[in-house]
Amino acid sequence: MKPVVVTGLGAVSPYGAGVVAYWKGLAAGVCTIRDLTLIETDGFRCRIGAEVPGPLAGSARRTRADRLAIAAAGEALEDAGLGARDRRAAALVVGAVGGGMLEAEAWYWRGGARPACLSAVRAMLPSAHAETLSSRFALGGPRHTVVTACSSGAVALAEAAELIADGVVDVALAGGVDAVTRICFMGFNALKLLDPVPCRPFDRERRGMSIGEGAGFMVLESRARARARGAHVYATLAGHGMTTDAFHVTAPEPDGDGMVRAMTAALRQAGAAPAEVRYANAHGTGTPQNDRIEGRALARVFGEGGLLVSSSKSMIGHTMAAAGSLEAIATVLALEHGVVPPTANLATPDPDVPFDCVPRVSRGVPLACAISNSFGFGGQNVTLLFRRGPA
Amino acid sequence: MTVEPGVAITGVGVVSAAVTGDSAALGAFLAAPSAPADAALGAGALAALVDPAEARRLSRVCHLTVAAARLALRESGVDPAAGLGLIVGTEFGDLGSTHAFADGFLARGPAGLSALLFPNTVMNTMVATTAIAVGAREMALTLNAPTVGGELAVARAAAAVASGRVPAVLAGGVDELDPVVEHELTRLGLGAECRGEGAAFVVLEPRAAARARGATVLGEVRAAAWRALPARPWGVGRARCSYAIDAALKAAGARPGDVGWVYASGSRDEARDRWEQAVLDAALGPAPPVSALGRLLGRHAGLGVLRVAAGAWTARSGLLPVVNGTTGVARVRPGRGLVHGLARGGAHVALLVDAA
Repeated sequence: MKPVVVTGLGAVSPYGAGVVAYWKGLAAGVCTIRDLTLIETDGFRCRIGAEVPGPLAGSARRTRADRLAIAAAGEALEDAGLGARDRRAAALVVGAVGGGMLEAEAWYWRGGARPACLSAVRAMLPSAHAETLSSRFALGGPRHTVVTACSSGAVALAEAAELIADGVVDVALAGGVDAVTRICFMGFNALKLLDPVPCRPFDRERRGMSIGEGAGFMVLESRARARARGAHVYATLAGHGMTTDAFHVTAPEPDGDGMVRAMTAALRQAGAAPAEVRYANAHGTGTPQNDRIEGRALARVFGEGGLLVSSSKSMIGHTMAAAGSLEAIATVLALEHGVVPPTANLATPDPDVPFDCVPRVSRGVPLACAISNSFGFGGQNVTLLFRRGPA
Repeated sequence: MTVEPGVAITGVGVVSAAVTGDSAALGAFLAAPSAPADAALGAGALAALVDPAEARRLSRVCHLTVAAARLALRESGVDPAAGLGLIVGTEFGDLGSTHAFADGFLARGPAGLSALLFPNTVMNTMVATTAIAVGAREMALTLNAPTVGGELAVARAAAAVASGRVPAVLAGGVDELDPVVEHELTRLGLGAECRGEGAAFVVLEPRAAARARGATVLGEVRAAAWRALPARPWGVGRARCSYAIDAALKAAGARPGDVGWVYASGSRDEARDRWEQAVLDAALGPAPPVSALGRLLGRHAGLGVLRVAAGAWTARSGLLPVVNGTTGVARVRPGRGLVHGLARGGAHVALLVDAA
């Protein structure tokens, strides 16, 4: 299999547009979770989340999620230095959940009255982003949209890596995107999984998650191709594991077996020993159940206290389909800069999570190897393992 | 991607208004095809396939999915405990539950929200419930694509099996008719398209593994490719390029003349159908016989998978259902043929299917 490297990054996050703003915010431990303005929150126990600050780039005729995706994907392509010719055969894999649901909801909330626009039916589908991106950037290689709930963005990266490793393509644009939607906000409220105050992953007093939005894309390519064109290589995507709990539609398997299998598969594919991994960018939602089980699974694979663990969601909320790719970008930048971003809002570490979870302040640590975990409804587990540079 | 030395199809499961059952039931239908009286699937057909207690916990589209997946798995004899992946294509997912969830809020505010319905609003709910029902614990993907989700799921599954990453994959497609979607598409002038509902699955595994365990090999996927053709979102393209067909032929070391028959994705969306014909003409030259089951069964993501299973039947039997005003069966060259999917927006899928 061909080694796969990361040569381009693009992000639109609650810190604003661009990877620089994203990393600056993460490294400073800035929490962006505050009152939601995009949707109505009257009558709900939780009324906060992390929104991308306006104004957004791009035409207002597009859905909000499409605009997030275009900005992040465009930045990644530009960062990688991919021209039109490079893009013609490039693969595109998008992780998405909500699609253009925010706009479809607005239409549905009005009773489905005219003006009925095609976007109310069509652009609400998650696959609409991939159509938009391939048309906008003239990407002509394999294209597909994966929906694995909250792990979608990470799965998109794993899927693109497989296309390159198997020799189907030499270069791919992949990532995830989601905008805040009413359905998502209301659903997690109904499940009582939202904390009324900004989420506190790994804290003994944590009460749930905070929703967010954004887009994160990477350009992945074969190491040989990247070397041949002299591209800057941020990291090597050395291994990944995708597993399914087959246990429950919302709850993770209590022993974390599926998570353990995903992490173990990523290590195996990378040929890495657990001790080589110094940092885990955790799924870390802030729900009592997720953090406890993820902590248990990490301990089974890496040993208690065996690595630094932090949660980006403590700062940018749970960005749904974008979470896996935005957190993968955070992991790659942690390797690049030798800095582990913190877990914001962490005051009283939970003894059930037996790791240094980097409370509130980032940590300078030379890193060679790190993982990013993403888990979704339906027990959809993904682990991505990155090595610094071209490995 | 090439899938040599061969990805075997060892199980078929179909749940639709026209035919429900395994490869034998599908073969009987294809040998004497007829349009169903109603595009919607009756409740009676579903009731017989999933235990009532289990069915109560499933939405209708999840019910369809679980039933078809079980039929395919039962025919294949694959043991999920040995490692089973699951890939499902869909266009609209469980939109019915999404409407119901939203309607609860619109009627009663926050108190009207159902925590039980919310997980179904996420499009991977069919995969989640089916993985639990059949014990699929390896990679599990939901692929969202307009009109070609089923073909895409089989192509992706064939690649996963060929790469050795997973021992076997249950690959399927599913969609249900949704009154809101139908109403809006009609209002937007897109209602002429023939839509249907149902679920279909195939079980894919390495040919050598299938033979080693004594399984009946119903057919093989010799090559699979998917690409994006130039087109605006939801639009039809003008360029007569055929990237996925070209890639599949190249991967299989085949020439256009090796394709003896085609299952196309024609479905009475006339602009899209003309585009597909132009793409097939560009790729294959003198056209081999083409079957468009969508005109008979209605388009849904399960149909793409049904057409792969039908392709295996045609490769074995040398018979091809003809749907062109009248229905019947034509004799074609047995062996290799093409299952082709092309969607508005440019999603393009090609699978070369052959007899075992």
